[in-house]
Amino acid sequence: MTDALVRLSADHPLLLWLLPLALLPLLASAQRATPVASIAAGPPDGLSRAVGVVVRLGGILALAGLILALSGPYRRGETLTRTGIGAQVSILIDRSGSMNETFAGRQPSGAEESKAAASRRLLAAFVGSRTHDQFAVTAFSTAPMLVVPMTDRHDAVRAAIAAIDRPGLDYTNIARGLAMGLSQFAAASPSTSRALLLVSDGAAVIDPRVQETLRAAFTRLRPNLYWLFLRTKGSPSISDRPQGEDTPQAAPERHLDLFFKSLRTPYRAFEAEGAEAVADAITQIERLERDPIPYTEQRPRRDLAGFAYGMALIGLLILVLAKLGEADLRRTGSSDAAPNRSLPVRLAA
Amino acid sequence: MTASSPIARNLRDWRLRGLAGALGLVALTFVVPPLNLTRDGVSILAVVDITGSMNVRDYVNPDGQPASRIETAKTVLRDLLARLPCGSRLALGLFTERRPFLLFAPIETCSGFAPIDGALAALDWRMAWEGDSRISAGLFRSIDLAAELGTDLVFITDGQEAPPLPSSGGPRFDGRPGAVRGLIVGAGASGLSPIPRYNDRGRETGFYGPGDVQQQNRFGPPPADAESRDGYNPRNAPFGAAAATGTEHLSSVREPYLRALGRETGLAYAPLAGPAGLASALAAEATPRPVPGRFDPRPVLGAMALLLLLATFLSALLRARGFPTWKKA
Repeated sequence: MTDALVRLSADHPLLLWLLPLALLPLLASAQRATPVASIAAGPPDGLSRAVGVVVRLGGILALAGLILALSGPYRRGETLTRTGIGAQVSILIDRSGSMNETFAGRQPSGAEESKAAASRRLLAAFVGSRTHDQFAVTAFSTAPMLVVPMTDRHDAVRAAIAAIDRPGLDYTNIARGLAMGLSQFAAASPSTSRALLLVSDGAAVIDPRVQETLRAAFTRLRPNLYWLFLRTKGSPSISDRPQGEDTPQAAPERHLDLFFKSLRTPYRAFEAEGAEAVADAITQIERLERDPIPYTEQRPRRDLAGFAYGMALIGLLILVLAKLGEADLRRTGSSDAAPNRSLPVRLAA
Repeated sequence: MTASSPIARNLRDWRLRGLAGALGLVALTFVVPPLNLTRDGVSILAVVDITGSMNVRDYVNPDGQPASRIETAKTVLRDLLARLPCGSRLALGLFTERRPFLLFAPIETCSGFAPIDGALAALDWRMAWEGDSRISAGLFRSIDLAAELGTDLVFITDGQEAPPLPSSGGPRFDGRPGAVRGLIVGAGASGLSPIPRYNDRGRETGFYGPGDVQQQNRFGPPPADAESRDGYNPRNAPFGAAAATGTEHLSSVREPYLRALGRETGLAYAPLAGPAGLASALAAEATPRPVPGRFDPRPVLGAMALLLLLATFLSALLRARGFPTWKKA
């Protein structure tokens, strides 16, 4: 109850200072005044008195209702937290120049689709397929770029994904990208399922010093990690051991995979060599991320002006009826104690 | 005595008419639907320069603390975002090196307020992928990008080209001037200020000195006055023998240059003066895009009813002064 009162508000609260005007009917009446010699001439009449009170109340109601209505009263909307099925997904997208090539490593021509265009199309379908998912989008090349913070506004997320097949930038600096992608999981309940989805077509060496920082962040947040590796045909796979020295510099993909495996968070890598494989991977991720997630629902604010106009309408109706039923003492010759009203006519009106 | 005669007399009473009029007006509030009308919204692509010179702190924030150009630009854009009518759309891009980078395609500004506001708040010079600042090239490509997205352009920059333009001038604009409307917003004060310098871990380490930056562009053909320079030699010292000096390590808003770019491309110029400035400048320049709006006629009807009602009662009060008897009725 008190909660309901606290949420009452008005668009123009200053107009409420006019409310004392609503007491005007106590001082004045819209009825005609008829002089009589002595009010004591008529016997006291309970019904007349009641009619008098009702008419005054009608006046107060009409004035107060209109002033309230003009102030634009409403009950504030509220944010409810509910639980649905979904996840917080932080999408980390590689925007290096090579993403604009096809899976065959060429510039797209004709009907061919670049890796960026394919991931744009498929990710856009992924976003919004479930109502309660929350997404954040981070892009990275040489530097990470926060594109959209964690949000449940899927239109905004799709607008961010729509931008990913624009020409890309320089290099793949995966470590800083991962750090920013992780930082997108801010305050949320610890039970929320979190997923970090890395979409890239290559990997890079992660500085050992940065590795420790990342490891700590992964341990703290415990996201499910998905790596959607868009492999260009002919380039080394995640699992390929390089001929010769097996160093991160020689096989960055393999060593990034090893790093991810060493994190002790749930991790899956999907190696996609074409749009269909990407679609498969996304379907799988969607199936895996099915946990309860708290989400907020906005209850819109409720306009209360209608009620105030209703109040004013009732008050005005009483005033008009009283006015219609008005009869003068001298002309009707009525002995009514309240000579400015004739009750029978008022009821008949 | 019939009942019709007092009613007829009552009907002639102007106070009844007043009350009945008010009643009618209030009754109308329940039946008149909100009027649909179109308002002028905008659809803009905001491109923010995030190069090093945007870190110059030559603004003052409301607390009296020095504020960098990029922080001020963010404040102004967030303020603008809140002022745009619902149905307006905003896309956001970054500029560094020589081209814009689109962060997101246009988003409706009311339903997408929180994500856009968050993205604006997160803008940082550390997002830059390269250090150059070729303003004119970036502007021309931003215009192309805005044309592709079908939006107007708001390009926020301080106009400091790094490296400096060659003596032959910058690239030419080959588009149609005025095809994309919008604003070039000049960030920075008119006086020269030092540019903060950061190390490779992003920590501030001081300011750029005269020797740290390229003071003169010595690519391409030498300027016309080169022959008169000290130590000029057509083969060995075509730009003269003296080391280039200048104030490229300091920064101010290059307003004449930005105005010239604006004339060339058909964009208007506006200074990033205060948080209030951009909304009106944009309203004057942006293409109005009809967005659906609603007009609620109820306050008008209600106000008229209230005036009628007050008039009825007040006139009674004034008249009643002559009849003190009735004050107690």
